[in-house]
Amino acid sequence: MKYIVIVGCGKIGKELAVQLSKTENVVMVDKDLEALNSLGDDFNGKKIWGDALDMNTLNAAGIKEANSVFLITGNDNLNLVVGKVVKRKYEIKEVSLLVNDDVKRQTFQEEGLTIVNRTNLMVGVLKRSIT
Amino acid sequence: MYIVIAGAGRVGLVLAKKLKEDKHQVCLIDKNSKLCDTLAKELKKILIISGDATYPDILKEAKIGKADVLVSATSCDEDNIIICNLAKDLFGIRRAVAIVNDPKHLPLYKYMEVDNPVDSTSIIARIVEEEASFTDVMTLLSIKKGRLSIVRVDIPQDSPVVNKSLQEISLPPNSVLVSILRGVDIIVPSGTTRIFPGDEVIAATLIDVEKDLIKALIGKI
Repeated sequence: MKYIVIVGCGKIGKELAVQLSKTENVVMVDKDLEALNSLGDDFNGKKIWGDALDMNTLNAAGIKEANSVFLITGNDNLNLVVGKVVKRKYEIKEVSLLVNDDVKRQTFQEEGLTIVNRTNLMVGVLKRSIT
Repeated sequence: MYIVIAGAGRVGLVLAKKLKEDKHQVCLIDKNSKLCDTLAKELKKILIISGDATYPDILKEAKIGKADVLVSATSCDEDNIIICNLAKDLFGIRRAVAIVNDPKHLPLYKYMEVDNPVDSTSIIARIVEEEASFTDVMTLLSIKKGRLSIVRVDIPQDSPVVNKSLQEISLPPNSVLVSILRGVDIIVPSGTTRIFPGDEVIAATLIDVEKDLIKALIGKI
């Protein structure tokens, strides 16, 4: 079983957490308690309520042990900062994050970071549908 | 100098006005367009840009490439970090200073290589602590990553240095008395200056002998 930390309990985060928690060890981090509670019974993992910019929260989520970290809050800048810090400090192998601005995505790109841009992704999928 | 300030909150605004008074060129960026409209009318000599400074386009509009210093003073710590990173990586700014809103976020500034984080909350807390005088000994300033401290020591009645002149007092090596505050007087001491109870002594000391210095001045720790 892999140990996976997800930061951001929005639509994508929730779906990802529920699916992954069927087979993997998942921890969900969010600063909004209601969002965490909305995960429901389908989620089979741990919830951490706190500020992801605070190292104590990341430590409580067991970030050191994580095989993969996902940063998918609606805040590009938070995703970038936390993503880069966990990559540098804890040398997590797979760090994936949502960044919706393309210039920022390119500027902050570094080895081992998977930066996903929702618009690019959608455009790619839609373009493929016409071939 | 040309200075770009991101964030027209209390700190950003006061700083912008102050720098303008000192005849610097100032550009102030803020996300809040209404606030920017008001500021543009009020502060005619400051360039006001309405926009999100975490976007490179906005920084470019502020001519950040020509700036001598960037100050990132938004109320969002992640934004301050990103703004400093962009200014450095994309525009090669020489000096970037950022406000830290929540001291818990300070480690992130360090990992993200923001060279000059200013932890405003901790600074204010320290000033309040100093003003309230909770203790006889107070570190006023620490320099060079904490290796050198400037401390303030209140001299009690039973201190071993009371009524002695400085040349009679032996202080640990690598420490020096800088000033004596007595009531409203500020004394820069010489060898014949005497220390009295109730004096506040300002001393500079290397961190490894700080305890010895305090012991020499108040007799205990």
